[in-house]
Amino acid sequence: MQQLTIENLHVTIGDQEIIRGLSLTVPRGEVHAIMGPNGSGKSTLAKVLAGHPDYTVTAGSVTMDGENILDLEPDERARQGLFLAFQYPSEIPGVTIANFLRAAVQSRMLDGEELEATDYYAQLYKKMDLLEMDRSFTSRSVNEGFSGGEKKRNEILQMALLEPKYAVLDETDSGLDIDALKVVSKGVNSLRGPNLGVLLITHYQRLLNYIVPDRVHVMVRGRIEMSGDKDLALQLEEKGYDWVRDDIDEPALA
Amino acid sequence: MVQENKSLEIERNIGDFAYPETHTHDAGVGLSEQTIHYISDVKQDPDWVREFRLKAYRTFLSKPMPTHWASKDLEAIVFDKIRYYLSGGIQPKRTWEEVPDDVKRTFERLGIPEQERKFLAGVEAQFDSEAVYSNIKKAVGEQGVIFVGSADGLKEHPEIFRKWFGKVIPTGDNKFSALNSAVFSGGSFIYVPPGVKVKHPLQAYFRINAENFGQFERTLIICDEGAELTYMEGCTAPKFNTATLHSAVVELVAMKGAKIQYITVQNWSNNVFNLVTKRGLAHEEAEVKWIDCNIGSRLTMKYPGVVMKGRKARGEVISIALAGDGQHQDTGAKMVHAADETTSNIISKSISIGTGRATYRGLVHVPKHLKNCKNNTECDALLINANSRTDTYPAITVRGTGNAVQHEASVSQVSAEQIFYMQQRGLTEAQAMSLSVNGFVNDLVRQFPMEYSVELKRLIELEMEGSVG
Amino acid sequence: MSNSSALLEEVAAVAPEPGGILGGVGNRNADLPAWFREQQQVAWTEFQSLPMPAPKDQAWRFSNVKALDLAPYQLPVALSDAETRNLLDRSTELSETSGRLVFGNDQFLERDVCSEKLRAAGVIFQPLERAMIEHEELFRRHFMNQPATLGSAKFAALHQAFVRSGTFLYVPRGIELELPLETFHWLHGENVSIFPHTLLVAEENSKVTLVEHFRSADRSRAGFSCGVNDLVVGPGAKVHYVCTQDWNDRALGIQINATTVARDASALNLYLNLGGKFSRLESLSRLIGEGGRSDMLAVSVGDGAQEFDARTLQDHASPHTFSDLLFKNALHDRARTTFGGLIRVEPHAHFTDAYQKVRNLLLSDDAEANSMPGLEILADNVKCSHGATSGQLDEDQMFYLLARGIPAAVARELLVGGFLTEVLERLTSSALVVRLEELIADKFVRRSR
Repeated sequence: MQQLTIENLHVTIGDQEIIRGLSLTVPRGEVHAIMGPNGSGKSTLAKVLAGHPDYTVTAGSVTMDGENILDLEPDERARQGLFLAFQYPSEIPGVTIANFLRAAVQSRMLDGEELEATDYYAQLYKKMDLLEMDRSFTSRSVNEGFSGGEKKRNEILQMALLEPKYAVLDETDSGLDIDALKVVSKGVNSLRGPNLGVLLITHYQRLLNYIVPDRVHVMVRGRIEMSGDKDLALQLEEKGYDWVRDDIDEPALA
Repeated sequence: MVQENKSLEIERNIGDFAYPETHTHDAGVGLSEQTIHYISDVKQDPDWVREFRLKAYRTFLSKPMPTHWASKDLEAIVFDKIRYYLSGGIQPKRTWEEVPDDVKRTFERLGIPEQERKFLAGVEAQFDSEAVYSNIKKAVGEQGVIFVGSADGLKEHPEIFRKWFGKVIPTGDNKFSALNSAVFSGGSFIYVPPGVKVKHPLQAYFRINAENFGQFERTLIICDEGAELTYMEGCTAPKFNTATLHSAVVELVAMKGAKIQYITVQNWSNNVFNLVTKRGLAHEEAEVKWIDCNIGSRLTMKYPGVVMKGRKARGEVISIALAGDGQHQDTGAKMVHAADETTSNIISKSISIGTGRATYRGLVHVPKHLKNCKNNTECDALLINANSRTDTYPAITVRGTGNAVQHEASVSQVSAEQIFYMQQRGLTEAQAMSLSVNGFVNDLVRQFPMEYSVELKRLIELEMEGSVG
Repeated sequence: MSNSSALLEEVAAVAPEPGGILGGVGNRNADLPAWFREQQQVAWTEFQSLPMPAPKDQAWRFSNVKALDLAPYQLPVALSDAETRNLLDRSTELSETSGRLVFGNDQFLERDVCSEKLRAAGVIFQPLERAMIEHEELFRRHFMNQPATLGSAKFAALHQAFVRSGTFLYVPRGIELELPLETFHWLHGENVSIFPHTLLVAEENSKVTLVEHFRSADRSRAGFSCGVNDLVVGPGAKVHYVCTQDWNDRALGIQINATTVARDASALNLYLNLGGKFSRLESLSRLIGEGGRSDMLAVSVGDGAQEFDARTLQDHASPHTFSDLLFKNALHDRARTTFGGLIRVEPHAHFTDAYQKVRNLLLSDDAEANSMPGLEILADNVKCSHGATSGQLDEDQMFYLLARGIPAAVARELLVGGFLTEVLERLTSSALVVRLEELIADKFVRRSR
């Protein structure tokens, strides 16, 4: 089963339930988009998949290629092939991108296996060229003082270098101008292929003009309430999220 | 403009007058066990209080002056030349009409009865060693709020009084808390029953009238569960030629969910040694907030503290110090975190003018195995003249991985650019300076009740007048 | 030259008497000049007359003064040839230097120290015992002439009573050394005590970097080091002084520094503290000429029951001076630190900029940080600030690293390294920064074992 499967997921933070019975399947080789209004729980879903300690999963399961990942530590999930592109990537003063990425690549190697420096840099520079990033970038501290665009490009660079099986892109388009959006989209599109499943989380339809999804899901109040092909995104753009909400509320009223 | 200056001139020396002494009780000069027996006799102390005093006296004798860290100026205090108890009777009056004329005139000149009518829930007025007037508005009394002198408190409400008296600040906390414990007289005892939120502030006013005198009031305030209280104190003394000592002990107890706000505007004359110990105990989800403004005195040493004993308790100290020529304001705060999720906040602003010296001393203690405690401390000092001085001496201990503590301090002067800008708009240098300094403390002054903040601003203006040119 | 070389042969031949240091210096320094030994006698009397530090002393507040029991410590015996060779083999940290001095148990072990070219330029880089004879006037002018005011007057007296070797570095006017000079001080043996001394005099417009390494020969035997390093930075001179302290965790170390900064001069002190059971640094920067600048830096990484105690004074005695202090501590296990620092701006030292920052990273629930940053400002037109923070690793940063597959232990090490880097990067030599980072990484490796 080459797919990321979320079944009946319930998640709380403190006393509050944020995800309330969410089910979703992303097969490898496909790009799925999750759209939803603010506060619908989209970013929570991204963090929960990556294993953020602030959230508690109270019910449901998440499997990656058939294996349960909910019992794994965040770093174990990552090494199993799950990648999260953060909406707000952390700034880490004093830790250079080069050292950080080396540690990340090294962590995926077997015990006793040493990273070959020349290969590593060759790989790194190739991906950086793809994302139109300057070489001097690697000596800067991780995300420190980066513009919004630089941060997002740095996320995609890591995705390119770490070659995940599934990537969750959390509002990767937010805070980007049109040029940066094009560069980032180009990066993501170049990574598309039969070995990668992508879950794109976004508030706006705009991103989906550049990264065209195979499926679009609408998330409202912690659940997927509607799914469809890419045209669903256009419908949403036209009618707004209230259209979905009204749709849900009607049966309740009846 | 002239008009305004004139009215300010009156304010400036508001406390500088004295009436002839008419005391009926006088413990004489100097301190010995006899002095303590005299005080206990006059006050008709219960035996346990007499014992408490005598024990404290021995503690006082055994403790050295803290000059290994504090100002050497303390050595100027001659304990043998101080008069430890002076009063014209021990029972405070309930109406101003009953208060002896000269004493009443004193408080009228200080505006106390007027303020009481306008915005206070109750007033106590202390003249030398004893309260001469004590009254609480009827409505507040009917809610079960107790507001009496400390002597009445210990006699009439021993079951509450003894439980907390000397518990927040033990006798041996420091040399001056021991001295106070030996000879204390006056001060307030307040108890607010569970859930009662006292709407208007209670106020105490402390007045020293006699020369060579030491005032040692003792205040104990207990807010029961969920109760709320604001207490204000003011103080003045005439300018005698010899040094005067004021050494109070103030203990606050905030039970679960209670809130106490304690506001001080200290405006002693420049020959008063003001050595005061103030500490609050905050139980679960309680809040103790000290708002402390020091303008007068020769040397003030005062570090209001909060011991946060219950989960989610909060402590706060807001401090303004104005050190003019010859003055040393040695103030600060102590924050002891003794439970999880406790938070404390210290904001201190000082202004040193002429040869004035402002010192901040702080203690923040977060022991190990506590979680999610936070302290934030900000100290800003403003130096006005080339010979002004400021010091900052914090001591911060943090253990363990669950807590975050941050201390920041800065020293600066009034920006020449700013002064020039205002002068270009036609203000004199002194006016510009005064505006700047008021701007420096403005955010803190706003935390005082309106009547006080207006007075504070005026006092700052007055201090600034002599500082430029 | 040949005379003093002969003298040195003799020095090596005189085997110091073993005995507890509290019994006095005895005949140990009989080979040193009479005037020097007279000073040592005076110092010994002073040591005996001064009280041991007590917890109530402000200068020792929060310190574990119990760690200061000197009774166990002995004067060292001479090292064997094999021991000497072993220590010399281990005495390389920097690949490129202008010269190197190596001391083991206060005994000068290596004498091929500095290039002919530097010597010809007038640079003196030689052991103390030689300098006090060959350059007596220069030596006496600067030796121990800054009183220890930060609490360790007694230990400064002890140091002076016992000192017999160390580094004398003199850089003449206008001479700039591109490569750093390097020294080593080794503690070797059980309960051995040493008294390393460094006197650096940089004349007008000279430039030099000195890197000193304090090491234990093994990681198990207790020892005591009581050192003094005085830096005299002449007008317009630039001095970088780096000290890497990596005693074993049974050693007691006290290091007393005074740096005097003249007009338009700049001094940078960086202390990397990794070792020692109890290790105290007293560091004084006196800014005595307009335009002077002092950077005071320290990184301490503690684990086990290690204690680091630092007391500093930024003394601005002249107008238009600048100082900047940055101390960072990373504490594992039950490690604790105390920082007591003061910025003092003397009357008339107007137009001073002085900054002081201490940052503690608490990595265990039993780690403890005490901070006492202080200001005493007696002048105006100053810009002064200080800050002290204590906290832990940022959870978001940690999650970010974990989310990239980096195991928690590695992530923690990366973040601690990143936290400390801000201090190290104040050095201009990237080779030196890399070496210091490696020393810190070595400590992590030791920990993980």
